[in-house]
Amino acid sequence: MLQVENISKSFGGIRAVDGCSMTVERGSITGLIGPNGSGKTTLFNLITGFYPPDLGQIRFDDRPIHGLLPSRICHRGIGRTFQMTRLFWKMTVLENMIVPVRQVGWKTLFSRGVKTHEEERALELLETVGLVGYRNEEARRLSFGQQKLLEFAAVLMADPELILLDEPAGGVNPVMIEKTMSFVEELNRRGKTFLVVEHNMRLVMDLCQYVVVLDHGQKIGEGEPAQVQNDPIVLEAYLGSANHAGA
Amino acid sequence: MRLLRVPPWAWIGGGLIALLAFPIVQRGQYYQHLMVMTMMAAVLASSWNILGGYTGYTSLGHAAFFGLGGYLVALAHNQFGWHPFISTWFLGLVVMGVALILGWIALRTHGSAFVVVTIAMVFIFRIVALNLGEITNGARGLTQPRPGWGGVQWSPEIMKIPFHYIMLALLCLTVLVSWRIRLSKFGLGLVAIREDEGKAEAVGIDALVYKVLAFGISAYFVAVAGGIYSYFFTYIDPQFIFNIFTSVTMVLIAILGGRGTLWGPVLGAFIMEPLGDWLVGTFGGTQIHLAVFGAILLGVMLFMPQGILPSLSDWLKRLTRSRGAGRLGPEPGAGQDASSAAKT
Repeated sequence: MLQVENISKSFGGIRAVDGCSMTVERGSITGLIGPNGSGKTTLFNLITGFYPPDLGQIRFDDRPIHGLLPSRICHRGIGRTFQMTRLFWKMTVLENMIVPVRQVGWKTLFSRGVKTHEEERALELLETVGLVGYRNEEARRLSFGQQKLLEFAAVLMADPELILLDEPAGGVNPVMIEKTMSFVEELNRRGKTFLVVEHNMRLVMDLCQYVVVLDHGQKIGEGEPAQVQNDPIVLEAYLGSANHAGA
Repeated sequence: MRLLRVPPWAWIGGGLIALLAFPIVQRGQYYQHLMVMTMMAAVLASSWNILGGYTGYTSLGHAAFFGLGGYLVALAHNQFGWHPFISTWFLGLVVMGVALILGWIALRTHGSAFVVVTIAMVFIFRIVALNLGEITNGARGLTQPRPGWGGVQWSPEIMKIPFHYIMLALLCLTVLVSWRIRLSKFGLGLVAIREDEGKAEAVGIDALVYKVLAFGISAYFVAVAGGIYSYFFTYIDPQFIFNIFTSVTMVLIAILGGRGTLWGPVLGAFIMEPLGDWLVGTFGGTQIHLAVFGAILLGVMLFMPQGILPSLSDWLKRLTRSRGAGRLGPEPGAGQDASSAAKT
C-alpha cells in the first residue's frame, strides 16, 4: 500500500533519514521503532509531505506522493497524528472533529460549518473514545491523554485508509493506552492500515504484525515482532536502550 | 443582567432602525458626515477582519485596495460617466481580482514577513499612481463632479443622505458576508489556519487557497468603500488615499472591538471614529488624538487582550454562571478569542 524507496533527508550536515526503504502492507499494523533521533518522526514528515525528500520516492497505492502538499496527501487517504499533540486549541472538541471532514467543490465550502450528519458521525466517534461529554469544551481544556485521543479521533473524520500514529502512548496513563490499543485493533479489523511509531515496546510487540527498525536514519532490521526481538543487530542498536526504558 | 435577555436579533434590528432613521432625525451636517465616516470605518474593519481576524494574517496593505477602488471609480466616472454608486460594486470585483493575484504571492509569507510585504503593496500602489500621470493626473489627484444623480446635483443640505444609505447598505452586506463565512466550512477552515496552519494542512485544508480567497473577499468591501469615499470627497490624490494610516486604523479598530469576532470591528468603529473626531475637534489639528489612541489601545491590550467584545462577553458569562470543571491550567497561546462557530 505504501512504498518508501531509498528516501533521504538531510538537515544541514545531519542525515536524518539516509537511504531508507520500507513497505506498509494493506490491512496491517506496522510498527516503526528505533532509538531517539533515529529518524522516525522525520520519516513521518516525509511521508505526509511536511518535508520534501532530498532523494528517493514514496508511493501510495502505486502513485507517487513525494513532493505533494500535506493537504493533498491527506486527500489521497493518509492521516496522521503528531508526537506533540496538535489540535486547534481554542476551537471546541466538536469543531476539531469537523475541520478534517473532506470538502469537495465550492458549494460545500460556503455551506454550513457543522452539518447534521457530520455532527452525528463526530459524536459517534467521540462516544467511542469517551469524549462525547466534552463536545462543546475548548480542546485546550482536555487532559493530555484526552487530547491525544481527540487528535486520533479527528484524523478518522477524514476517513483515511492509512493512519500514521506518532507515539500514541507517549505520556499517557495505562488505562488510556489500553483504550487506544483496543481502538486501533478494532479499526484494523474494519480494514484500516496503521503505521505506528512507539517507544513502549510491549505495546509495539502486542499490537504490530510487522516491525521496521531504524537507526541513524537507516533501516537496520524488519520482520515479525518475535523475529525482530531476537535479531542481534537490532538488539545491539536498540533493545538495550529499550530494556533500560523499562519495557 | 437584563441586557443578556434581549435576543440578538433585537439588538441588530434596533441598531438597523436607528441607522435607517438617523439622517431623518439628525439634520446636522456634521453628524451626518461623521456617521458616514463611522460606518465606512466599520466596513473597512469588518472586511479586514475576514482575513486578519478569522485567519490571523495581519495585513497592513488594505489601504492599497481602498485606494485602487477609489481611483477606478473616479476614473470610470470622469472618463465614461459611470455613476460611482453603481460602478463601485463591480469595480470592486476588479480590485478583488488584483487582490487574489497579490494574495497568491504575498500569502506564501507568514507572520511579520507578511506584514512587511503588505506594507510594500501600499507604497507600490502609491508610486504607480504618482507616476502614471497621464491616467491618474499624478500628484495633483483626480477631481470628480459634485455628487448628484441623472444630471441633477444634490444640494449641500441633502448631499450626505444618499451616502449615508449606500454606506449603510455596504455595511449590512459586509457584516452579512462576514457572518456567512464565520458559520461556513470556509470560516471553520480559516480559524483552523489561524490556530495551527501546519495541522490544518495535515487534516486536508488547502491553506493557500483558503487564505487567498479570504484575502480577495476582504479586499472587495474595502475597495467598494474606497469607491464611495472618492465620490464623497470628490477629490483624491495618491498621498491621501494610498495611506498606511488607513490600514493601521482598520487594524486598530478590529483589535479594539475584538479581532476575529463578527461584531467587534463594528463596535470598535463606533467607538474610535466619533472619539477621534471629537479629539480632533477639541484639540485642533495637533497630533494629540494619535497619542490618545495609543493610550487607549495600550489600555485595551493590558486589560482586555482579546478586545472589548470578547472580554465583555466573557465577563458577562462569568457573572451569570460559574463554569463547570475541566482542566484550568495555564492556557496555551492565550491571545485572541478563537471562540466557537456559533458565537456571533
